[in-house]
Amino acid sequence: MTDNLVFMMGEYEALVPSDRRYAENHLWLQEDGDALKVGLTSYAVRLLQDVFFLDWTIDPGTEVRARQEIGEIESSKAVSSLFAPVDGHVLEFNDAPLEDPSSINTSGYDGGWLYRFRTDSTLLSPQDYLAVLEGGWEDTQRMIKGQLN
Amino acid sequence: MASKLLTVVVSQTPSKNPAKRQLEEELVAALMIDDAVDVAVVPHLYNLDAAHSGTLFLQALQGHLVVLSWMYSRAAHWLLDRSGIKGHQVETLFDGQDEGDEDIEIPEPQGVGGVDLPDRKIYCLDLGVDDDSQVYLEEINRIGQELRADTNPTSGTLDLTDWISGSPKPEQLQRYLDPLSVLSGEGDVEPVKRRWYPVIDYERCTNCMECIDFCLFGVYGVDRLDRILVEQQDNCKKGCPACSRVCPENAIVFPLHKEPAIAGALGDVGALKIDLSRLFGSATGLDAAVAERDVELLRDGRDAVGASVGMPRRQTDRDSTQRDELDDLFDGLDAMDL
Repeated sequence: MTDNLVFMMGEYEALVPSDRRYAENHLWLQEDGDALKVGLTSYAVRLLQDVFFLDWTIDPGTEVRARQEIGEIESSKAVSSLFAPVDGHVLEFNDAPLEDPSSINTSGYDGGWLYRFRTDSTLLSPQDYLAVLEGGWEDTQRMIKGQLN
Repeated sequence: MASKLLTVVVSQTPSKNPAKRQLEEELVAALMIDDAVDVAVVPHLYNLDAAHSGTLFLQALQGHLVVLSWMYSRAAHWLLDRSGIKGHQVETLFDGQDEGDEDIEIPEPQGVGGVDLPDRKIYCLDLGVDDDSQVYLEEINRIGQELRADTNPTSGTLDLTDWISGSPKPEQLQRYLDPLSVLSGEGDVEPVKRRWYPVIDYERCTNCMECIDFCLFGVYGVDRLDRILVEQQDNCKKGCPACSRVCPENAIVFPLHKEPAIAGALGDVGALKIDLSRLFGSATGLDAAVAERDVELLRDGRDAVGASVGMPRRQTDRDSTQRDELDDLFDGLDAMDL
């Protein structure tokens, strides 16, 4: 994993590994046999902080549309619904983070992957994703600040 | 007829829910025999139009008011205000109960405020807070004691002439002197039809005009002070809360909308944690507002405009390179005890 990109969230370095592709909703997708493994990016995990709870609201083997709600996640700082990255097919869920959600924190780019997925849609390159982060950072901070108030 | 220090208004539910009706009846029955207060029953405030006898009756009341209604207190207060039933909004022990963590402070409202407020207090209680009538009666009792303690004994006796200041219209005076048809809660209360329109909370409204730019149905206008107002409320599209979503101050309330934030709840109701759903792909408030507006435009036989008209301007002139307090805030997230 050379030439990894880094996005500075304040003083925190959010890693954007160059060996995979991305979706705008802060998921990474990496070739895994005949499908893709999907996980949360370091940027997303940094915002969530310690993940306590992960649940899926669809069954494995479900066709999903982009931004369809498929699950939920709760952490020490946040709650969120989880949404499909693009149109595709959710094949199976990774048991590891379901049993121990902290694996999303400890190995979010590795053993903490979320599900296997198949899609024909176009995905973002690491550079494209970095541009998404740069474009959205201000807005994200404002959203968080708005909710803290 | 001697007037009481306090009038309690029960605004009925527009639904036929027997549990709600029963709560109303228990309250009215208990309040009717309470010597300390006058009691009045009106249909749901949101459905009263300007000419309705209930509106005229309420306008004629001059003393302090407790208003019990099936709405968030903020919605009820500004609904009364727009109908000319004005006064100082006073928090009750009910307010803030369901806003969760006391550590999460709701910012002081920075709005333009109400105008021409008479020296009277209005306490709005949400009937959805509890299904036990005793809870409301205790709070009304507490408010009564607070008001009696406040009343300056030298200011004169509390009789009718003290309350009627200015020159009420003859029909208002008549309603006041003979309010039995309304007071009893029985008999032929004028029927109302269901309505749908926004209510502006002027404690929060900063007069930014984003709502008037966004709404393409001519609901909004300005008054002689160039203050935003809901001018053509019947142009509003039933079920559409799009302007409330674009309001940067959450100052536009649709009291009967299903989402608490739009119906007038303050803060994130019950939510102690940050909601990152937007980050992970849910529709933003603005997306939802654009979609809702397009649906209504198409229903009217007009063309959908998407995001081409009336988009909020507030994010266009930011300097994104300069470090500001938001960066500090974010770096401090770890240290925060949320």
